[in-house]
Amino acid sequence: MDQETTNARAFGFAGDWREFAPIAFTNLLLSIVTLGVYTFWAKARERRYLWSRTRFIDDRLEWTGTGLELFIGYVMAFFLFLVPLGVIQFVVQALAIRGEDGLAGLLILIFYLLFLYLLGVAIYRAMRYRLSRTYWHGIRGGSDDQGFGYAVSHLWKTIVGTVAFGLLVPWAMVSLWNERWNRMSFGPHAFQSNGRMTSALIGRYLLYYLMPIVVFIGIALAAALIGPTIAGSPEKIQIAILLTLVVGYVGFFVVLGLIALTFYAAYFREVVGNLSLGGLEFEFDARTKDWLVLFVGNVLLVVVTLGIGTIFLGYRNWTFFVRHIQAYGSLDLDDFTQSTTREPRQGEGLLDAFDVGAF
Amino acid sequence: MSAPSEAAVRVWHYDGNSGVRREPLLVPAGEDRFMLVDLGREDGPYAYADLVAQGAVDGHPRFGLKKRPGWSMTFAEALPEAVAARLPGTARYGGVIDRIGLWPAVGAFAAVSALIIVGIATVPSMVARLIPRSVEARLGSLMVGDFGERACTDPAGVAALQAMAERMQMRDGVDLRVVDVPMVNAVTLPGGHVVLFSGLLQQASSPDEVAGVLAHELGHVENRDVLESLVRQLGLSVVLGGLDGNVGGYTNALLSASYSRGAEARADGFAIDALRTAQVSPRPTAAFFSKLAKSEVKVKGADALLTYMASHPMSSEREQRFAASAGKAATTPVLDAAQWQALKGICGAGSGKWKGSRLGF
Repeated sequence: MDQETTNARAFGFAGDWREFAPIAFTNLLLSIVTLGVYTFWAKARERRYLWSRTRFIDDRLEWTGTGLELFIGYVMAFFLFLVPLGVIQFVVQALAIRGEDGLAGLLILIFYLLFLYLLGVAIYRAMRYRLSRTYWHGIRGGSDDQGFGYAVSHLWKTIVGTVAFGLLVPWAMVSLWNERWNRMSFGPHAFQSNGRMTSALIGRYLLYYLMPIVVFIGIALAAALIGPTIAGSPEKIQIAILLTLVVGYVGFFVVLGLIALTFYAAYFREVVGNLSLGGLEFEFDARTKDWLVLFVGNVLLVVVTLGIGTIFLGYRNWTFFVRHIQAYGSLDLDDFTQSTTREPRQGEGLLDAFDVGAF
Repeated sequence: MSAPSEAAVRVWHYDGNSGVRREPLLVPAGEDRFMLVDLGREDGPYAYADLVAQGAVDGHPRFGLKKRPGWSMTFAEALPEAVAARLPGTARYGGVIDRIGLWPAVGAFAAVSALIIVGIATVPSMVARLIPRSVEARLGSLMVGDFGERACTDPAGVAALQAMAERMQMRDGVDLRVVDVPMVNAVTLPGGHVVLFSGLLQQASSPDEVAGVLAHELGHVENRDVLESLVRQLGLSVVLGGLDGNVGGYTNALLSASYSRGAEARADGFAIDALRTAQVSPRPTAAFFSKLAKSEVKVKGADALLTYMASHPMSSEREQRFAASAGKAATTPVLDAAQWQALKGICGAGSGKWKGSRLGF
């Protein structure tokens, strides 16, 4: 029995926001009256809904993770990470107050490295957990790798990427994405990820990288050219400074944000586009414009509803993802047997503690 | 193979071992069990009680099986009543809430949360009072030690400081010192460590001002405010940990701030009483608070780091309170001129030349 994915899109979403609204609002209500403890169960409920309305080829996805798992994950992260963090802060402050700057600095450095390492563990394990709780045709994904090796890679690649004046950041992102996915599997098949540093990716990143410099030189040039003509009048100088601030602000946060978005869109197309599983090839077709519409929509939704719209962000982001992901090829269901990978018992608590997003 | 009875119904089924979809018949097997019967294949029996409702796919109810991840069946046809009656209800919000209903659960959770918030408001002061002073003292020295090279030890200055402390009826066991830090401030640390920064001595125009600030800090020692604030912070971070980062942070800041204002007011009351008993005029302290209010902006950066130790919101209200407490009784300066000079020189010749720490202190 072969599952072909020909004309129709392999992925589809069958829910709508009116159906989701009661879930979102009761989740919000229960989270408030439980002082936030319910958020873990709320997250599980939201995913159960989103997954169950997501079709892949001929059947729906199924989320089997529970609120309790996420809660236990959070408690573990609290004791493994947040408590030591508090203690280190305390010690650093005590050292600084005694004038032991060197020791305090060393401790901050060690803490930073530890943070980066744990961040790698967290990103890896969150992905592994999500795959292990995602079922399709009664089959789940997962990984036997614990992620400690990945975390070492994450540590040094992040440092190298940043140290070279940030120029190697795209390389670090792509290679870490590959490394992560190449350790994951679904059912009997291993994911294969071969994302590369394309010229499009490098170009967009360079644009992002050079933008602040261009803006800075532009402002300096403008000041040199226009400066002498307005030097006499204090009002003109005030206006010029105000204009510079406005232009600088727009340049940095709007233009830079847009360029960052074009980079991210290209990055996501590249890495998802070079991901495969068994006989399936994946593709992600969202362009910069699509990401922009999502992003602006999210901001408006939150602002216009005075923050209450936040409860719909997860829904919007998920449907965006499903609308734009595509799969081609075929999956042989006769060999499509259950995954034998170890099932992690706790949720992505560590990642929640770091406040990092899904992919 | 059992003969399909009237109650038999067609389902889509995954067994969790293979991804192949089967379409067997669900055939009741006795009162509370059923079999899944396919051509040449029989699975089960399974108990209806082990089924877990998973909502519906295109209007067709779907069920999983307890402890069998991946196992599922979705009804393809209308349900016979004999089967429908035995199927479990939908699980919506989670165990307890589904059992007692959404609104009763909201009420119960809100009541428990209210109790917890009341607990946060009252328990820390009780806990702080239960912690022995010796433990508190050890915690305090862990945090600050002896301030290393920054502690000011000029003998004449120390004697003057001691004289002032005695006049203000400082209780035994309080560790009072001046530290060479150019900040116009003073802090109380757990375990009765009161620290006056040298900037305070440099800026003060009379010893009575310093005495007022010292009495305020002694009030914090008396009320064990700092320890209470530490306990509260710990409790809040555990309770509010589940909330989204920002929400938790804001709630935390709000609760701490409201508590902190009360503690400051109590410490001021203590200081006013102490000044009155010692027959020291509160007016210079009032003037000093008004002066500090103006320099507040400058100290803010350093203050942020010390917020959890003791927060000193300066306001005209506090200034007025001290000014209003001035009675008609005669007052004498807390130190004579020679003692005052000695106190100002407590950090020795290098006073005020101490180079700032690169970490913001």
